[in-house]
Amino acid sequence: MATVSVIDELKKAQILELLEQGKRVDGRALDEPREIKIEINAIPKANGSARVYLGDTDVLCGVKIQPDRPFPDVGDKGMFMCTAELLPLSHPTVETGPPRDDVIELARVVDRGIRESHMVDVSQLVIEKDKSVVGVFADVVAIDYDGNYFDACSYAATAALLTSKTPTWEMVDDQPTVVEGGEKQLPTSTIPVSVTMGKIGNHIVVDPNGDEWASMDCRVTITTDSDGHIVALQKGGSDGFTQDEINQCGDLSIKVGAKIREQLKSAQQESQ
Amino acid sequence: MADRRKYVIPGDVVTSGPFRPEQNVILEGNDIISTVVGISEIYDDSVKVIPLTGKYLPKIDDLVIGKVVSHTSLSWELDINSCYIGFLPAMDVFGRDFSTHSDELSSKLKTGDLVAARIANFDRTRDPLITISDRDLGKIDDGVLVKISTSKVPRLIGKKGSMIQMIENGTNAAVTIGQNGWVVVACESAEGLSKAKKAIEMVNEKAHIANLTDLIQDMLNEKDES
Repeated sequence: MATVSVIDELKKAQILELLEQGKRVDGRALDEPREIKIEINAIPKANGSARVYLGDTDVLCGVKIQPDRPFPDVGDKGMFMCTAELLPLSHPTVETGPPRDDVIELARVVDRGIRESHMVDVSQLVIEKDKSVVGVFADVVAIDYDGNYFDACSYAATAALLTSKTPTWEMVDDQPTVVEGGEKQLPTSTIPVSVTMGKIGNHIVVDPNGDEWASMDCRVTITTDSDGHIVALQKGGSDGFTQDEINQCGDLSIKVGAKIREQLKSAQQESQ
Repeated sequence: MADRRKYVIPGDVVTSGPFRPEQNVILEGNDIISTVVGISEIYDDSVKVIPLTGKYLPKIDDLVIGKVVSHTSLSWELDINSCYIGFLPAMDVFGRDFSTHSDELSSKLKTGDLVAARIANFDRTRDPLITISDRDLGKIDDGVLVKISTSKVPRLIGKKGSMIQMIENGTNAAVTIGQNGWVVVACESAEGLSKAKKAIEMVNEKAHIANLTDLIQDMLNEKDES
């Protein structure tokens, strides 16, 4: 959480006690994510957008696609950038102002998951080599917080990108100019799905809710692509995982990720 | 009484005339105006508005449930579900001979602990002073924290404690109600615990319903049979 939200010891004890019996506070199985609801085109005027509810966590992503100057070292590739932020209305402990460490981490984890999966095919986003390329910017904000903003933000960004429409540009008088009627689907290759797992005591739980998030010892976020390959990983928290636990998390991320990928796919199909 | 009660929003004129303005109303000229969203009550010589929502405003001698959020070398800071932070001096726990050198605060209360406490002093200029040096006060070792709206606390207690007694008798649970809307329920049996929790949540949601007592009684009985 942005600032420390203290969970009371009794609740923490209750969570751990239930886990010893193989149960969770909200009645889910240990490897069961909360219900995911995906609303495509939540912002009608954006190039692409999605609102994702992961249980009571609620995030919104908007995608802006526009021509830009390329980075000097990669003139033959377009740009992709993803940011994520918590709004003060999402939780009492979140304040305005520069993002804190954990929010910076959130943005990086979400960006890395999508970037390293090579979901957005940036090689197709060149208008003129070394002069002008297309930039894709996905901005995610958390509207309501109840644990695991990593996955919620990641799903929102992925769903928004999957359904984004991009205009086409061509160079006229050295300026990128929109081609009338040239709107097409944003070129994407794979669907990255991040799965965050928390470790509470000696138990691994998938998609920790707010209370579990506050009482877990450490966490790991693993992103897999459509082929079931791990493309990104981030570990957080002060405790550590054993090698067996990390292997278990890897397997879980592939298994759970596959189901969530189907949901993202069907949300994409429904929007078309 | 019933026709003297009405729903008001800030700025509504509750009544006019020679009344004494009490909680959440201001006197402007001859009009008594509400400052909150709530239900107005007009008594023989006074007017008040019971807020429907809002944070807890500490009152001296209130019993509250607090959560330790941090501590310095001299005091603990308690979250008491208010815009103010509860201030619990170390001397209150360790006694007069408290010394910052020999006594470690986290040995008695650590971050995340729940305490039953009393508001010892509060004057709005400083954070409320909390005490736990009294019978029945102190760290809470077991139970579950249930959060309800501050304005529903009187309803949960009921007339002379009737509501809470009914819940306690019906479930064998021990319920500690903080005036700040935090309630700790402790019960030997898991079934009683969930039933008591459900009853408290029901009071929170349906506080405005007239025959709430019967509803709660029905709910408590009904589960016994199943």
